[in-house]
Amino acid sequence: MSDLATAAAAMGLPEALVERSVHARAAATGASVDDLLTEWSGGDAAPVATPPPAAEDEPAATPAETPPAPQSTPEAPAEIVVDVPQQPSPASVAAATGPYKPPVLVGARDNPMTVLAGVVGLFFIVVMVAIVGPSIPVDSPGARSSDLPYSEAALEGKGVFQSIGCAACHTQMVRPVVADVGLGAVTLNDSNQVLGARRFGPDLSDVGSRLTSAQLEATVSGLGDHPSLTLGPEDLDDLVSYLSESVTSVASAAEEAES
Amino acid sequence: MADTQTADIRALLGGGSDEDRIAATHFIVGAIFLVVGGLLQLLALFAVRFGDLFPVSFGRIEPAANLLLMIGFAAVSLFGGVYYVLPRLTGTHLERRSFAGLGLAGMSGLSVLGVLAIFFGFGDGSQPLGLPWWLDVPLALVLFLPALVTISTIRNRTEERSFVTLWFVIGGVTWLPLLYVAYLVTELPWVSSVTYAYAEVFFSAGFVTMFLITVGSGLVYYTMVKELDVPLASRQLALVGFWSLGFAAGWWGAAQLLFGPGPTWVAGVAAALGLAWPIGALANAANVSLSLDGAWDEVGEKPAVLSGVLGLYLAVGVGIVAALAGFRSVGSVTSLTSFWEAIEYVAITGVGTLLVSSVVFGALPRVLGRELETVAKARRFQRLTIAGSVGLLISLGAAGILSGFSWIAGSNSGTYVDAGEGWGAGLGATYDTLVLIALIFGAVLFLGVVGYASIVLGTLARGRAIPQEVLVDKVSDDE
Repeated sequence: MSDLATAAAAMGLPEALVERSVHARAAATGASVDDLLTEWSGGDAAPVATPPPAAEDEPAATPAETPPAPQSTPEAPAEIVVDVPQQPSPASVAAATGPYKPPVLVGARDNPMTVLAGVVGLFFIVVMVAIVGPSIPVDSPGARSSDLPYSEAALEGKGVFQSIGCAACHTQMVRPVVADVGLGAVTLNDSNQVLGARRFGPDLSDVGSRLTSAQLEATVSGLGDHPSLTLGPEDLDDLVSYLSESVTSVASAAEEAES
Repeated sequence: MADTQTADIRALLGGGSDEDRIAATHFIVGAIFLVVGGLLQLLALFAVRFGDLFPVSFGRIEPAANLLLMIGFAAVSLFGGVYYVLPRLTGTHLERRSFAGLGLAGMSGLSVLGVLAIFFGFGDGSQPLGLPWWLDVPLALVLFLPALVTISTIRNRTEERSFVTLWFVIGGVTWLPLLYVAYLVTELPWVSSVTYAYAEVFFSAGFVTMFLITVGSGLVYYTMVKELDVPLASRQLALVGFWSLGFAAGWWGAAQLLFGPGPTWVAGVAAALGLAWPIGALANAANVSLSLDGAWDEVGEKPAVLSGVLGLYLAVGVGIVAALAGFRSVGSVTSLTSFWEAIEYVAITGVGTLLVSSVVFGALPRVLGRELETVAKARRFQRLTIAGSVGLLISLGAAGILSGFSWIAGSNSGTYVDAGEGWGAGLGATYDTLVLIALIFGAVLFLGVVGYASIVLGTLARGRAIPQEVLVDKVSDDE
């Protein structure tokens, strides 16, 4: 049996706690860990080393300034009662030195499981209203990008658009407000576009009707203020296809003409 | 000396009760993620101002930063706080402790993997985290583990009376995984873009109010009472704070999609219920203030309590700004702008760090047996965090308002010239200056974040030995 195990057995404490305590005591007194363990196991008292000069950033090595760690007080191990599974008595909290003074953590005799039921129930109500409700299509004039005949490359490009995080800066959401006049037809809620919630750069709902493919490719590659996106040639082509085919106002006009 | 310290730290983390070891490990891991996430968040702001400075664009840096801050820092640290208070409030040992360890490993590992996936182009672009489905689904499952630990422990409680912190803990740890499941809607290919967008903003908003501020406020209640031994002023006010934050406050996110393609009634409901954020935060802040009546002199000497008070009041301030922007008149200017970026930035990094530091500063000495290092450093951290948060909220918020007015005045389409369109081109030098000021305040906030991590790690490595609080089984009066 190791010294640590012997000491833990002698003190009736878990080895982990004794190990942690003996290191703290050793740091505080300058004694060696082995000597302390021998002492705690019932052997001779450990010689206390002359403390080294105090270092300001290592107060633990300064006995005069450091109160001994209570959990390392082998003289009074009986005060510490740790995890006695055969006694299912209520657990509590205690500082290892001195009597434990409980804080004013007074509660009421309510059932936390009732709170849990309320928490779960109300969450589902909120989700119904916050996500499901808004998803119901509204019949109003605007652009239906889901009707756009996106090419296969453009649909691949939508994936590229998402994976590189374009929506972090660009919306694809034209709103019926003054700020969005000229951006294209108002976006409807059956749209397949990535709406986004920030507009650090311009809205891209209708960018295909404003810029040519060459201009789009130059921009994505770092022309002007736009950061250069490190894309492979295939991803670049797909992304440009997606943006080129984003022409909601044309789709809307065609739709209105049909109706 | 270094070897001795390493051995000592290992002994510290290996000692004490399982609960305290688990809590301490969560705090330390959370602090490390906070520094890395905070740095990425600052780099993201750099990218907004200076564009093409980094090989990775803003669109990838931002979700990576969000992931590290929301999951790696806030969730991990707050779950650590939950594991710290649960045994002390329920009178029983933490149940299913292996789940707690598994949860920590899962959240940490998935955060790291997620950042790599986003940087290498495997993300799906969803806001705020941008994880691909093969990381989203495991993360959702992992987030249920702390809820299982919490509920199992509470079911086995021996303490019949429940302190208010328990409500906040139950609510927060239950809502977070449920929020994430709702957020998984973004992984379904057939959902409309409106559903997608509402699921995104609902998760962002819900994370802040239904988890971060809810659990953080609950832990501040516990820390305040524990540190100063003062009774709680009002249980009813805490009840108002809890249900306001938890049930209604998640609506503030929907205001970001004002005038969007969703039904108009959503905007009205969101504006009304969005008020629940400042109401709930104010109820908690007022409750703590009333509880501290007569003990304010001591608050300055207790970094844990001061952090909690500052965090609660900062949450009130950010909540008021967010609620105002939910109204149509204000929203017509602020919608889609950096105004909302400012709110999320400050809510997660500023409010989050202050609330987390409250419980961590209170818990660390008790679980490590080491004195907090140091009160002066804690004050510096608090000053930097508050100054950075307030300055950033004002400057980045003002930049957003300026954008909104510019768009209204000239229409966003007016900036479209040639191929070099966009990226602030039409917003003028004032916008750029405001973002630059925001960047400076962001750096101040980051210094605060580093200060917090330095205190946590410094306490572990160099804190003076003090009496450690040891969880023991209560000896009956007969004995």
